[in-house]
Amino acid sequence: MIKVRHLKKVFLTPSGQELTVLRDINCDIHRGEVISVIGPSGTGKSTFLRCLNRLEEPTSGMIEVDGMDILSLKTDISMVRRRMGMVFQNFNLFEHLTILDNVTMCPMILLGKSREEAESHGMALLESVGLHDKAGCLPEELSGGQKQRAAIARCLAMEPDIILFDEPTSALDPTMVSEVLAVIRHLASQGMTMCIVSHEMQFVRDVSTRVLFLYDGVVYEDGTPEQIFDNPQKPVTQAFINRIRTFDVTLADSRFDLYGLMGNIRTFCNKYGVGLRTMEKVEHVTEEMLCQIIPFDAPVRFTVDYSEKTSRIHMVFVLENSRGSILSAVPDDSLSLMMVRGMSDSLSEPEPGRICVVI
Amino acid sequence: MRKLRFILIAALLLLDSCSGRRAKDLSGVNGIEDLKGHSVAVSMGSSYDLMLSDIGGIDVIRIGLGELLVAVEKGRAEFCIIDQYQAAMLNMESRGLEIRFRNILKGTAGAGFRKEDSLLCNQFNGYLNGIRGSGEYDRWLDEWKSASDSMAYASFQVPVHDKQPGVRALHVGITINYPYLFLKDNRLTGIEVDLFNRFCERMGYAVDYEIYDFSALIPALNSGKIDVILSHMRMTEERARQVLFSDAYIEGGGAAVCRSADGKAVGVRAGFLERMKESFRNNLVEERRWKLMVDGLWVTIRISILSILSAVMIGIAMCRLRMSRMRVVNLPAKILIDILRGIPLLVVLMLMFYVIFASSRITGTLVTVMSFGVYYGAYFSEVFRSGMMGVDRGQWEAGYALGLRKIQTFYKVVLPQALSRIIPVLKGEVIALIKMTSVVGYVAVVDLTKASDIIRSRTLDAFFPLILVSAVYLLLSWLAGCGLGLMEHRINPKSRKT
Repeated sequence: MIKVRHLKKVFLTPSGQELTVLRDINCDIHRGEVISVIGPSGTGKSTFLRCLNRLEEPTSGMIEVDGMDILSLKTDISMVRRRMGMVFQNFNLFEHLTILDNVTMCPMILLGKSREEAESHGMALLESVGLHDKAGCLPEELSGGQKQRAAIARCLAMEPDIILFDEPTSALDPTMVSEVLAVIRHLASQGMTMCIVSHEMQFVRDVSTRVLFLYDGVVYEDGTPEQIFDNPQKPVTQAFINRIRTFDVTLADSRFDLYGLMGNIRTFCNKYGVGLRTMEKVEHVTEEMLCQIIPFDAPVRFTVDYSEKTSRIHMVFVLENSRGSILSAVPDDSLSLMMVRGMSDSLSEPEPGRICVVI
Repeated sequence: MRKLRFILIAALLLLDSCSGRRAKDLSGVNGIEDLKGHSVAVSMGSSYDLMLSDIGGIDVIRIGLGELLVAVEKGRAEFCIIDQYQAAMLNMESRGLEIRFRNILKGTAGAGFRKEDSLLCNQFNGYLNGIRGSGEYDRWLDEWKSASDSMAYASFQVPVHDKQPGVRALHVGITINYPYLFLKDNRLTGIEVDLFNRFCERMGYAVDYEIYDFSALIPALNSGKIDVILSHMRMTEERARQVLFSDAYIEGGGAAVCRSADGKAVGVRAGFLERMKESFRNNLVEERRWKLMVDGLWVTIRISILSILSAVMIGIAMCRLRMSRMRVVNLPAKILIDILRGIPLLVVLMLMFYVIFASSRITGTLVTVMSFGVYYGAYFSEVFRSGMMGVDRGQWEAGYALGLRKIQTFYKVVLPQALSRIIPVLKGEVIALIKMTSVVGYVAVVDLTKASDIIRSRTLDAFFPLILVSAVYLLLSWLAGCGLGLMEHRINPKSRKT
């Protein structure tokens, strides 16, 4: 139904610099599919979606909708947009109209429906999203979740072939996310073609038929939800799926600033919600490793990875140009080694000079 | 001790200054030379003004014609100089005033023409010589001088030629000043008008009188707005450099008016209501002066409405240019708006009338509407722009995404929301505009304010016409506010819903 080839979008920053958001996007969306677009923030997920109905003008490339090139000058983009609904992050309900008028206005203007026809259809749609008692309200009288449901109803009133969801729950209170997701789930179950940009991973996994992982301006990896979430193939996808946070520092010699380092580790742990006990373990292991176990005859690269998904911490110490195994040079009954072993789940040295600790 | 003495002196001085006005004996002042050391109010820019200033030693207070007697009444000036014919016609006693002496500062007045228009001037001189020779002039002047108001009006009804092809219409600039030129029953009459009408009838000209401020007459003549100045203009050397004067046709002199010796009004010093009644009769009923006010009110309303409409249209145009993304379009618009907002409106109006449209015979009303349109257009455009920018970009996008075209999105989505922001701000600007129309008297438009000026120059009563005019402006502003308030109410979705 939608075919995207070599889509490129370059923004011009106010200072005159070029910022390439989308480099080379290729994908196909077929009727009945529910496509989710995920990826780190700033990778152009929303831009990609907005290019599909030309709210953003692509710099180059080709987008075909039902075999029609929508980027050509001859195409009447308004006619294309009628067939493509869009749900915005900020709802964008028409503030001066009641909820029912929001839903009925466009069908009356664009589809030539009579008021009665549009209103009866509109009421049915509002009922289906659970808002029939709010028909006479103004948008400002509704909660965020209700507004977004109304926006979905407004979208449906145009009877679109596909709906584009641009982070539909990002602006909502956590308590209101589920009511909106439930409506989208319901639509998916009815076979509506949808393209969703979302950060709700569990929802994406449940509702999608296919997931696109956007990174660095390209479709970095795509596949079924199971493939992407359970068995991602590429490193950035893996890091993203496991929500891995990294703390990385290189220490020049043994006179490094230990207290400064400890402070930074503490800040890192607090930022990503590492538990207090775990944090203390990380601190102890760091101190023992750097002050007692590792002979500081060359710079040491020290990395802490924290997976928010599994709550595991991987610590890696790499001594450059190591002359041999570090751990084997330390007596087995050394107090430091025993302490590290006691606090960690595993301690290993897969290659000489590279020590991995898992907590 | 020193402090005490200081306070005592200060108290004495204060006492002296308080009682001074009342206590000062004016009975010794009986001639123009005696005015030295006294404060004398004169009409600004008049020949009395120039002549008194030349004498020196007199504290000359320059104010408008209509305020002269009031200034003396209220003690702001000890004397005022007004035309002696006019002084003779007014009831001084009832206001506690008296004519101390007359026949001062005499001079002759003539009609003024453009320097290059000597043909017309010669015709007028020829006509004057003719009637002087036949004795018609003397008879006519005697009749006027002895005439009571009603007689004067009744005896001279000179038919004015209709504008026809081949008949030259003379545009005559006048200032309203009794008894030479005044409005009676809302018709222009007076010595000068009578004379000029007779001249035009004899020579076969049509005539069209336009009311100007005295000080604006010479610029209007030289810029071609008018052909003749007919305003008992004294023929001073300075004026003669700019204007070609005819032979003198009238001699004039001033009278000095001061408070009467006992300082109290004689007779009708009745209650407030009585005085209001008297003022009402004097300023509105007599000579059907209310007609002038009503005409003035219509002019004000018409100018206001046309100005608002043109300002809205020009404002929309400027707003579009200003919001253009192209620098070559939005920068000039921004500069124009900044310039217009930085110049006083009166200056814009005068520039338009006397400079830009100087040579064209364009009416003051049209110039006013154009000036107000452009000037307030600049203000309105910024109001519109802020209203438009107040609407979130997402509203446009939502409209587009649903398949609305740009124009549909604008009218159905953005404009209604922008209007509910624009109208409350616009209300203030519209009221400011209505009040600002009171300056149009400067370009020969007789609006409400000018009408009250004319009445005041006739009755020399400042209080009543000013209060009346303020009340009318207040009413107009209130009505405009209500109208826009109603619009606001209808546009606001909350109030509309219920």
